[in-house]
Amino acid sequence: MLIKGARWAVESGYGEASDLERIESHGCIEGADPSLISSKAYERGQAQQGTLGSGNHFLEIQYIDRIYDQRAADGFGLFEGQVTVMIHTGSRGFGHQVCTDFLEVMERAAKKYQIPLYDKELACAPISSPEAQDYLGAMRAAANYAWANRQCIMHWTREAFMKALGASPRELGMQLIYDVAHNIAKIEEHTVNGKKKKLVVHRKGATRAFPPGHPELPDAYKHLGQPVLIPGDMGRASYVLLGTEKAMQETFGSTCHGAGRVMSRHQAIRRAKGRAIWREMEDRGIIVRSAGRETLAEEMSEAYKDISNVVDVVHKAGISTKVARLRPLGVVKG
Amino acid sequence: MKQFEILDISGDAGIRAFGHDLPELFVNAGIGMYNLITDIADIQEKKPLEISVQGSSREGLLVSFLNELIFHFDTYGFVGKSVSIKKLPSDKLTDLPTGEPEFRRAYRLEAKLTGEEFDPDRHKGKLLIKAATYHKLLIEKIDGLYQAEIIFDI
Repeated sequence: MLIKGARWAVESGYGEASDLERIESHGCIEGADPSLISSKAYERGQAQQGTLGSGNHFLEIQYIDRIYDQRAADGFGLFEGQVTVMIHTGSRGFGHQVCTDFLEVMERAAKKYQIPLYDKELACAPISSPEAQDYLGAMRAAANYAWANRQCIMHWTREAFMKALGASPRELGMQLIYDVAHNIAKIEEHTVNGKKKKLVVHRKGATRAFPPGHPELPDAYKHLGQPVLIPGDMGRASYVLLGTEKAMQETFGSTCHGAGRVMSRHQAIRRAKGRAIWREMEDRGIIVRSAGRETLAEEMSEAYKDISNVVDVVHKAGISTKVARLRPLGVVKG
Repeated sequence: MKQFEILDISGDAGIRAFGHDLPELFVNAGIGMYNLITDIADIQEKKPLEISVQGSSREGLLVSFLNELIFHFDTYGFVGKSVSIKKLPSDKLTDLPTGEPEFRRAYRLEAKLTGEEFDPDRHKGKLLIKAATYHKLLIEKIDGLYQAEIIFDI
Protein backbone atom coordinates (compact mmCIF):
# COMPACT_ATOMS: atom_id res chain seq x y z
CA MET A 1 0.00 0.00 0.00
CA LEU A 2 2.80 2.42 0.84
CA ILE A 3 4.43 1.77 -2.53
CA LYS A 4 1.36 1.45 -4.75
CA GLY A 5 -1.15 3.82 -3.11
CA ALA A 6 -4.62 3.77 -4.68
CA ARG A 7 -3.39 1.12 -7.12
CA TRP A 8 -2.98 -1.22 -4.14
CA ALA A 9 -6.57 -0.44 -3.11
CA VAL A 10 -7.94 -1.21 -6.59
CA GLU A 11 -5.89 -4.42 -6.84
CA SER A 12 -7.29 -5.43 -3.45
CA GLY A 13 -10.86 -4.98 -4.65
CA TYR A 14 -11.59 -1.44 -3.52
CA GLY A 15 -12.95 0.36 -6.56
CA GLU A 16 -12.26 0.12 -10.26
CA ALA A 17 -9.19 0.46 -12.44
CA SER A 18 -10.81 3.40 -14.26
CA ASP A 19 -10.80 5.35 -10.95
CA LEU A 20 -7.01 5.56 -11.15
CA GLU A 21 -7.16 7.62 -14.33
CA ARG A 22 -8.85 10.43 -12.40
CA ILE A 23 -6.45 10.56 -9.48
CA GLU A 24 -3.44 12.86 -9.34
CA SER A 25 -0.37 10.79 -10.36
CA HIS A 26 -2.75 7.80 -10.74
CA GLY A 27 -2.93 7.63 -6.97
CA CYS A 28 0.66 6.49 -6.66
CA ILE A 29 3.72 8.65 -6.31
CA GLU A 30 7.00 7.04 -7.34
CA GLY A 31 9.92 6.80 -4.95
CA ALA A 32 8.16 5.81 -1.73
CA ASP A 33 10.52 3.84 0.51
CA PRO A 34 8.76 1.84 3.26
CA SER A 35 12.14 0.98 4.86
CA LEU A 36 12.27 4.60 6.04
CA ILE A 37 9.02 4.27 7.99
CA SER A 38 9.35 3.80 11.76
CA SER A 39 7.58 0.96 13.54
CA LYS A 40 5.55 3.60 15.38
CA ALA A 41 4.23 5.02 12.11
CA TYR A 42 3.31 1.48 11.03
CA GLU A 43 1.47 0.84 14.31
CA ARG A 44 -0.38 4.15 14.17
CA GLY A 45 -1.19 3.76 10.48
CA GLN A 46 -2.46 0.22 10.86
CA ALA A 47 -4.89 1.21 13.61
CA GLN A 48 -6.40 3.99 11.48
CA GLN A 49 -6.43 2.53 7.97
CA GLY A 50 -9.73 3.21 6.24
CA THR A 51 -10.89 5.86 8.72
CA LEU A 52 -11.90 9.46 8.10
CA GLY A 53 -10.26 11.23 11.03
CA SER A 54 -11.12 14.34 12.95
CA GLY A 55 -10.73 18.11 12.71
CA ASN A 56 -11.80 19.56 9.38
CA HIS A 57 -11.90 16.15 7.70
CA PHE A 58 -15.32 15.02 6.50
CA LEU A 59 -17.43 12.97 4.15
CA GLU A 60 -20.29 14.96 2.68
CA ILE A 61 -23.29 14.13 0.53
CA GLN A 62 -23.97 17.25 -1.49
CA TYR A 63 -26.00 18.50 -4.43
CA ILE A 64 -25.04 20.92 -7.17
CA ASP A 65 -27.17 24.05 -6.92
CA ARG A 66 -25.33 26.21 -9.42
CA ILE A 67 -23.22 25.79 -12.54
CA TYR A 68 -20.93 28.69 -13.50
CA ASP A 69 -19.05 27.15 -16.42
CA GLN A 70 -21.22 24.89 -18.58
CA ARG A 71 -18.40 23.62 -20.80
CA ALA A 72 -16.20 22.56 -17.89
CA ALA A 73 -19.17 21.12 -15.98
CA ASP A 74 -20.11 19.03 -19.04
CA GLY A 75 -16.51 17.86 -19.31
CA PHE A 76 -16.37 16.84 -15.63
CA GLY A 77 -19.83 15.22 -15.86
CA LEU A 78 -21.47 17.68 -13.46
CA PHE A 79 -24.99 19.12 -13.76
CA GLU A 80 -27.42 21.13 -11.67
CA GLY A 81 -29.42 19.06 -9.18
CA GLN A 82 -26.85 16.24 -9.27
CA VAL A 83 -26.00 14.51 -6.00
CA THR A 84 -22.28 14.32 -5.26
CA VAL A 85 -20.06 13.00 -2.48
CA MET A 86 -16.93 14.82 -1.31
CA ILE A 87 -14.33 13.06 0.82
CA HIS A 88 -11.79 15.17 2.69
CA THR A 89 -9.21 13.05 4.48
CA GLY A 90 -5.53 12.23 4.27
CA SER A 91 -2.74 10.12 5.69
CA ARG A 92 -4.15 10.23 9.26
CA GLY A 93 -1.87 9.44 12.21
CA PHE A 94 0.51 7.69 9.83
CA GLY A 95 1.47 10.92 8.10
CA HIS A 96 1.69 12.74 11.41
CA GLN A 97 4.03 10.10 12.80
CA VAL A 98 6.24 10.38 9.70
CA CYS A 99 6.34 14.14 10.29
CA THR A 100 7.08 13.70 13.99
CA ASP A 101 9.87 11.21 13.26
CA PHE A 102 11.50 13.49 10.70
CA LEU A 103 11.10 16.71 12.63
CA GLU A 104 13.79 15.47 14.99
CA VAL A 105 15.99 14.46 12.05
CA MET A 106 15.47 17.88 10.46
CA GLU A 107 16.16 19.76 13.68
CA ARG A 108 19.56 18.09 13.75
CA ALA A 109 20.05 18.59 10.03
CA ALA A 110 19.39 22.34 10.27
CA LYS A 111 22.18 22.55 12.86
CA LYS A 112 24.47 20.31 10.81
CA TYR A 113 24.01 22.38 7.63
CA GLN A 114 23.96 25.62 9.66
CA ILE A 115 20.59 26.81 8.42
CA PRO A 116 19.30 29.62 10.65
CA LEU A 117 15.66 28.97 11.62
CA TYR A 118 13.05 31.62 12.27
CA ASP A 119 10.85 28.93 13.78
CA LYS A 120 11.99 25.42 14.71
CA GLU A 121 8.82 23.98 13.18
CA LEU A 122 10.38 25.01 9.85
CA ALA A 123 13.40 22.76 10.44
CA CYS A 124 14.82 21.70 7.09
CA ALA A 125 17.75 20.31 5.11
CA PRO A 126 19.08 20.91 1.57
CA ILE A 127 17.02 18.81 -0.86
CA SER A 128 20.11 16.89 -2.08
CA SER A 129 21.15 15.89 1.46
CA PRO A 130 20.58 12.31 2.65
CA GLU A 131 18.22 13.61 5.37
CA ALA A 132 15.97 15.34 2.81
CA GLN A 133 16.07 12.42 0.37
CA ASP A 134 15.08 10.06 3.19
CA TYR A 135 12.25 12.39 4.12
CA LEU A 136 10.97 12.46 0.52
CA GLY A 137 10.94 8.63 0.48
CA ALA A 138 8.90 8.57 3.70
CA MET A 139 6.58 11.44 2.73
CA ARG A 140 5.78 9.69 -0.55
CA ALA A 141 4.80 6.57 1.40
CA ALA A 142 2.45 8.76 3.47
CA ALA A 143 0.97 10.29 0.28
CA ASN A 144 0.34 6.79 -1.05
CA TYR A 145 -1.27 5.80 2.26
CA ALA A 146 -3.61 8.79 1.86
CA TRP A 147 -4.55 7.94 -1.74
CA ALA A 148 -5.25 4.33 -0.74
CA ASN A 149 -7.30 5.54 2.21
CA ARG A 150 -9.49 7.82 0.11
CA GLN A 151 -9.92 5.10 -2.52
CA CYS A 152 -11.14 2.63 0.14
CA ILE A 153 -13.52 5.16 1.69
CA MET A 154 -14.88 6.03 -1.77
CA HIS A 155 -15.43 2.32 -2.45
CA TRP A 156 -17.37 1.87 0.80
CA THR A 157 -19.38 5.01 0.03
CA ARG A 158 -20.45 3.49 -3.29
CA GLU A 159 -21.35 0.26 -1.48
CA ALA A 160 -23.42 2.21 1.06
CA PHE A 161 -25.34 3.98 -1.72
CA MET A 162 -25.89 0.70 -3.55
CA LYS A 163 -27.23 -0.89 -0.38
CA ALA A 164 -29.43 2.03 0.64
CA LEU A 165 -30.90 2.61 -2.81
CA GLY A 166 -30.86 -0.97 -4.06
CA ALA A 167 -29.15 0.18 -7.23
CA SER A 168 -26.33 -1.26 -9.32
CA PRO A 169 -23.07 0.69 -9.79
CA ARG A 170 -24.12 1.44 -13.36
CA GLU A 171 -27.48 2.81 -12.25
CA LEU A 172 -25.82 4.95 -9.61
CA GLY A 173 -23.17 6.24 -11.98
CA MET A 174 -20.90 7.23 -9.08
CA GLN A 175 -17.88 8.10 -11.10
CA LEU A 176 -14.82 9.69 -9.52
CA ILE A 177 -14.43 13.32 -10.65
CA TYR A 178 -10.94 13.87 -9.24
CA ASP A 179 -8.69 13.07 -6.29
CA VAL A 180 -5.90 15.45 -5.42
CA ALA A 181 -3.50 15.87 -2.48
CA HIS A 182 -3.34 19.24 -0.78
CA ASN A 183 -0.49 18.93 1.65
CA ILE A 184 2.42 17.52 -0.25
CA ALA A 185 5.80 18.40 -1.73
CA LYS A 186 6.29 17.46 -5.38
CA ILE A 187 9.06 17.89 -7.89
CA GLU A 188 7.60 19.85 -10.81
CA GLU A 189 8.73 21.87 -13.79
CA HIS A 190 7.93 25.58 -13.71
CA THR A 191 9.06 28.66 -15.62
CA VAL A 192 11.07 31.08 -13.50
CA ASN A 193 12.30 34.32 -15.13
CA GLY A 194 11.68 32.82 -18.57
CA LYS A 195 13.65 29.64 -17.83
CA LYS A 196 12.23 26.17 -17.24
CA LYS A 197 13.32 24.86 -13.85
CA LYS A 198 12.75 21.78 -11.76
CA LEU A 199 11.40 22.89 -8.40
CA VAL A 200 10.14 21.30 -5.21
CA VAL A 201 6.64 22.70 -4.79
CA HIS A 202 5.16 22.31 -1.34
CA ARG A 203 1.41 22.95 -1.20
CA LYS A 204 0.09 23.40 2.32
CA GLY A 205 -3.23 25.19 2.76
CA ALA A 206 -3.12 25.27 -1.03
CA THR A 207 -4.10 22.86 -3.74
CA ARG A 208 -2.92 22.11 -7.26
CA ALA A 209 -4.69 23.92 -10.12
CA PHE A 210 -3.01 22.85 -13.37
CA PRO A 211 -4.03 24.47 -16.70
CA PRO A 212 -5.39 22.84 -19.86
CA GLY A 213 -2.77 20.90 -21.78
CA HIS A 214 -0.63 20.04 -18.76
CA PRO A 215 0.93 16.58 -19.16
CA GLU A 216 -0.10 15.58 -15.60
CA LEU A 217 -3.81 15.84 -16.42
CA PRO A 218 -5.94 12.80 -17.30
CA ASP A 219 -6.85 12.56 -20.99
CA ALA A 220 -10.51 13.27 -20.27
CA TYR A 221 -9.64 16.69 -18.79
CA LYS A 222 -6.61 17.66 -20.85
CA HIS A 223 -8.54 20.10 -23.06
CA LEU A 224 -10.25 21.72 -20.03
CA GLY A 225 -7.81 21.96 -17.13
CA GLN A 226 -7.67 20.27 -13.75
CA PRO A 227 -10.77 19.94 -11.59
CA VAL A 228 -9.96 21.81 -8.36
CA LEU A 229 -11.85 20.65 -5.28
CA ILE A 230 -12.52 23.26 -2.60
CA PRO A 231 -14.07 21.82 0.55
CA GLY A 232 -16.07 24.49 2.39
CA ASP A 233 -17.47 24.46 5.89
CA MET A 234 -20.17 21.93 6.75
CA GLY A 235 -23.10 24.36 6.64
CA ARG A 236 -22.62 26.54 3.58
CA ALA A 237 -21.03 25.22 0.39
CA SER A 238 -18.11 23.57 -1.36
CA TYR A 239 -16.89 24.31 -4.89
CA VAL A 240 -15.43 22.70 -7.98
CA LEU A 241 -13.09 25.07 -9.80
CA LEU A 242 -10.94 24.81 -12.92
CA GLY A 243 -7.15 25.12 -13.10
CA THR A 244 -5.77 27.93 -15.28
CA GLU A 245 -2.66 29.05 -17.14
CA LYS A 246 -2.54 32.11 -14.90
CA ALA A 247 -2.08 29.87 -11.84
CA MET A 248 0.90 28.34 -13.66
CA GLN A 249 2.39 31.79 -14.28
CA GLU A 250 1.65 33.39 -10.93
CA THR A 251 1.24 30.75 -8.20
CA PHE A 252 3.22 27.71 -9.39
CA GLY A 253 -0.03 26.03 -10.46
CA SER A 254 -1.72 26.46 -7.08
CA THR A 255 -4.86 27.94 -5.59
CA CYS A 256 -6.60 28.10 -2.19
CA HIS A 257 -7.68 24.80 -0.65
CA GLY A 258 -10.47 25.95 1.66
CA ALA A 259 -11.98 28.78 3.63
CA GLY A 260 -9.71 29.13 6.64
CA ARG A 261 -10.87 29.81 10.17
CA VAL A 262 -12.03 33.09 11.65
CA MET A 263 -12.60 31.71 15.15
CA SER A 264 -10.23 29.67 17.27
CA ARG A 265 -11.49 26.24 18.22
CA HIS A 266 -12.07 27.31 21.81
CA GLN A 267 -13.87 30.46 20.72
CA ALA A 268 -16.14 28.32 18.55
CA ILE A 269 -16.82 25.87 21.38
CA ARG A 270 -17.69 28.79 23.71
CA ARG A 271 -19.94 30.33 21.05
CA ALA A 272 -21.74 27.00 20.61
CA LYS A 273 -22.43 26.52 24.35
CA GLY A 274 -26.10 25.86 25.04
CA ARG A 275 -26.82 25.40 21.33
CA ALA A 276 -27.57 22.18 19.49
CA ILE A 277 -25.52 22.66 16.34
CA TRP A 278 -26.85 19.42 14.82
CA ARG A 279 -30.43 20.67 15.21
CA GLU A 280 -29.60 24.07 13.72
CA MET A 281 -28.21 22.22 10.72
CA GLU A 282 -31.15 19.87 10.53
CA ASP A 283 -33.46 22.90 10.41
CA ARG A 284 -31.56 23.95 7.31
CA GLY A 285 -32.00 20.52 5.74
CA ILE A 286 -28.53 19.19 6.57
CA ILE A 287 -28.24 15.91 8.45
CA VAL A 288 -25.04 15.66 10.45
CA ARG A 289 -23.29 12.85 12.25
CA SER A 290 -20.16 13.38 14.31
CA ALA A 291 -17.95 11.50 16.74
CA GLY A 292 -18.17 14.19 19.43
CA ARG A 293 -20.18 17.29 20.28
CA GLU A 294 -17.11 19.48 20.43
CA THR A 295 -16.02 18.45 16.94
CA LEU A 296 -19.30 19.80 15.70
CA ALA A 297 -18.99 23.01 17.71
CA GLU A 298 -15.44 23.77 16.62
CA GLU A 299 -16.31 23.03 13.00
CA MET A 300 -19.55 25.02 12.81
CA SER A 301 -20.02 27.33 9.83
CA GLU A 302 -19.52 30.61 11.64
CA ALA A 303 -16.05 29.47 12.78
CA TYR A 304 -14.97 29.70 9.13
CA LYS A 305 -14.72 32.47 6.57
CA ASP A 306 -17.49 32.34 3.98
CA ILE A 307 -16.09 30.02 1.32
CA SER A 308 -17.98 31.91 -1.41
CA ASN A 309 -15.97 35.07 -0.69
CA VAL A 310 -12.71 33.12 -0.71
CA VAL A 311 -13.59 31.42 -4.00
CA ASP A 312 -14.58 34.78 -5.53
CA VAL A 313 -11.11 36.10 -4.74
CA VAL A 314 -9.27 33.27 -6.51
CA HIS A 315 -11.78 33.43 -9.40
CA LYS A 316 -11.21 37.16 -9.90
CA ALA A 317 -7.46 36.71 -9.52
CA GLY A 318 -7.78 34.12 -12.32
CA ILE A 319 -5.73 31.41 -10.55
CA SER A 320 -8.75 29.08 -10.85
CA THR A 321 -12.27 29.71 -12.08
CA LYS A 322 -15.68 28.67 -10.79
CA VAL A 323 -17.37 25.62 -12.30
CA ALA A 324 -19.97 24.44 -9.79
CA ARG A 325 -21.27 25.14 -6.29
CA LEU A 326 -22.17 22.19 -4.06
CA ARG A 327 -24.55 22.45 -1.09
CA PRO A 328 -24.35 19.98 1.81
CA LEU A 329 -27.17 17.47 2.45
CA GLY A 330 -25.51 15.04 4.82
CA VAL A 331 -22.29 15.50 6.77
CA VAL A 332 -20.15 12.86 8.48
CA LYS A 333 -17.45 14.19 10.80
CA GLY A 334 -14.94 11.71 12.21
CA MET B 1 1.20 28.14 40.83
CA LYS B 2 -1.21 26.81 38.27
CA GLN B 3 -0.19 23.72 36.34
CA PHE B 4 -1.09 25.02 32.90
CA GLU B 5 -3.41 27.32 30.98
CA ILE B 6 -5.11 26.89 27.64
CA LEU B 7 -4.11 29.30 24.87
CA ASP B 8 -6.68 30.70 22.51
CA ILE B 9 -5.25 30.66 19.03
CA SER B 10 -7.07 30.46 15.75
CA GLY B 11 -6.60 27.28 13.75
CA ASP B 12 -4.77 25.24 16.34
CA ALA B 13 -4.78 24.54 20.05
CA GLY B 14 -2.12 25.30 22.61
CA ILE B 15 -1.21 25.32 26.28
CA ARG B 16 1.19 27.23 28.51
CA ALA B 17 2.67 24.92 31.14
CA PHE B 18 4.44 25.95 34.37
CA GLY B 19 6.88 24.25 36.73
CA HIS B 20 9.31 25.02 39.53
CA ASP B 21 11.81 22.79 37.76
CA LEU B 22 12.07 21.04 34.41
CA PRO B 23 10.54 17.70 35.51
CA GLU B 24 7.51 19.55 36.92
CA LEU B 25 7.20 21.56 33.70
CA PHE B 26 7.21 18.36 31.64
CA VAL B 27 4.62 16.73 33.91
CA ASN B 28 2.32 19.74 33.70
CA ALA B 29 2.71 19.96 29.93
CA GLY B 30 1.61 16.31 29.70
CA ILE B 31 -1.36 16.83 32.05
CA GLY B 32 -2.31 20.02 30.17
CA MET B 33 -2.28 18.19 26.86
CA TYR B 34 -4.44 15.35 28.24
CA ASN B 35 -6.91 18.02 29.37
CA LEU B 36 -7.27 19.17 25.77
CA ILE B 37 -8.09 15.57 24.79
CA THR B 38 -10.62 14.84 27.56
CA ASP B 39 -11.66 15.77 31.13
CA ILE B 40 -9.01 13.88 33.03
CA ALA B 41 -11.07 14.02 36.23
CA ASP B 42 -12.96 11.08 34.67
CA ILE B 43 -9.81 9.10 33.90
CA GLN B 44 -8.86 6.33 36.33
CA GLU B 45 -5.38 5.13 37.18
CA LYS B 46 -5.75 1.58 35.90
CA LYS B 47 -2.77 0.97 33.68
CA PRO B 48 0.90 1.94 33.72
CA LEU B 49 2.85 3.14 30.72
CA GLU B 50 6.60 3.63 30.66
CA ILE B 51 8.17 5.71 27.95
CA SER B 52 11.65 6.75 26.93
CA VAL B 53 12.41 9.46 24.38
CA GLN B 54 15.34 11.39 22.96
CA GLY B 55 15.89 14.94 21.84
CA SER B 56 18.80 17.19 20.97
CA SER B 57 17.66 20.12 23.14
CA ARG B 58 15.30 20.82 26.05
CA GLU B 59 12.64 21.93 23.60
CA GLY B 60 13.31 18.89 21.43
CA LEU B 61 12.87 16.64 24.46
CA LEU B 62 9.56 18.30 25.36
CA VAL B 63 8.21 17.88 21.82
CA SER B 64 9.41 14.24 21.66
CA PHE B 65 7.87 13.56 25.08
CA LEU B 66 4.46 14.99 24.12
CA ASN B 67 4.52 13.31 20.72
CA GLU B 68 5.20 9.99 22.44
CA LEU B 69 2.08 10.51 24.59
CA ILE B 70 0.11 11.44 21.45
CA PHE B 71 1.35 8.25 19.75
CA HIS B 72 0.02 6.13 22.62
CA PHE B 73 -3.29 8.00 22.62
CA ASP B 74 -3.80 7.99 18.85
CA THR B 75 -2.80 4.33 18.42
CA TYR B 76 -4.02 2.65 21.61
CA GLY B 77 -6.34 5.25 23.17
CA PHE B 78 -4.18 5.60 26.30
CA VAL B 79 -4.92 8.72 28.38
CA GLY B 80 -2.71 9.44 31.37
CA LYS B 81 -3.93 10.81 34.69
CA SER B 82 -0.63 10.99 36.50
CA VAL B 83 2.82 11.51 35.07
CA SER B 84 6.17 11.15 36.79
CA ILE B 85 9.52 11.91 35.25
CA LYS B 86 12.05 9.26 36.14
CA LYS B 87 15.03 10.58 34.28
CA LEU B 88 15.72 13.99 32.80
CA PRO B 89 19.06 15.72 32.29
CA SER B 90 19.73 18.63 34.65
CA ASP B 91 18.37 22.09 33.89
CA LYS B 92 21.26 23.29 31.81
CA LEU B 93 21.83 20.00 30.06
CA THR B 94 25.53 20.12 30.87
CA ASP B 95 25.82 16.55 32.12
CA LEU B 96 26.19 15.28 28.59
CA PRO B 97 29.09 14.52 26.33
CA THR B 98 30.12 17.91 25.00
CA GLY B 99 32.86 16.67 22.68
CA GLU B 100 30.23 15.70 20.12
CA PRO B 101 28.92 18.27 17.64
CA GLU B 102 25.62 19.70 18.83
CA PHE B 103 23.53 18.07 16.13
CA ARG B 104 24.66 14.64 17.24
CA ARG B 105 23.86 15.07 20.92
CA ALA B 106 20.94 13.13 22.29
CA TYR B 107 19.37 13.75 25.67
CA ARG B 108 17.19 11.02 27.13
CA LEU B 109 14.02 11.34 29.12
CA GLU B 110 12.22 8.51 30.88
CA ALA B 111 8.75 8.83 32.33
CA LYS B 112 6.09 6.69 33.93
CA LEU B 113 2.39 7.33 33.50
CA THR B 114 -0.75 5.77 34.86
CA GLY B 115 -4.14 6.10 33.24
CA GLU B 116 -6.55 4.09 31.15
CA GLU B 117 -7.87 3.58 27.65
CA PHE B 118 -10.24 6.23 26.35
CA ASP B 119 -13.83 4.99 26.38
CA PRO B 120 -16.27 7.19 24.44
CA ASP B 121 -19.13 6.01 26.70
CA ARG B 122 -17.47 7.22 29.90
CA HIS B 123 -15.06 9.91 28.72
CA LYS B 124 -15.76 13.20 27.07
CA GLY B 125 -14.09 13.50 23.66
CA LYS B 126 -12.59 16.96 23.26
CA LEU B 127 -9.81 17.55 20.74
CA LEU B 128 -8.08 14.81 18.80
CA ILE B 129 -4.53 16.08 18.88
CA LYS B 130 -2.28 14.83 16.09
CA ALA B 131 1.10 16.32 16.97
CA ALA B 132 3.00 18.64 19.28
CA THR B 133 4.93 21.23 17.28
CA TYR B 134 8.06 23.33 17.66
CA HIS B 135 6.07 26.37 16.51
CA LYS B 136 7.02 29.32 18.79
CA LEU B 137 8.20 26.79 21.37
CA LEU B 138 10.51 28.20 23.99
CA ILE B 139 11.24 26.98 27.50
CA GLU B 140 11.88 30.04 29.64
CA LYS B 141 12.57 30.73 33.29
CA ILE B 142 10.60 33.78 34.41
CA ASP B 143 10.81 34.90 38.06
CA GLY B 144 12.17 31.51 39.04
CA LEU B 145 9.36 29.65 37.30
CA TYR B 146 9.77 27.55 34.17
CA GLN B 147 7.24 28.22 31.41
CA ALA B 148 6.65 26.68 28.01
CA GLU B 149 4.09 27.40 25.33
CA ILE B 150 3.24 24.44 23.16
CA ILE B 151 1.09 24.59 20.03
CA PHE B 152 -0.58 21.40 18.83
CA ASP B 153 -1.67 20.29 15.37
CA ILE B 154 -5.24 19.07 15.26
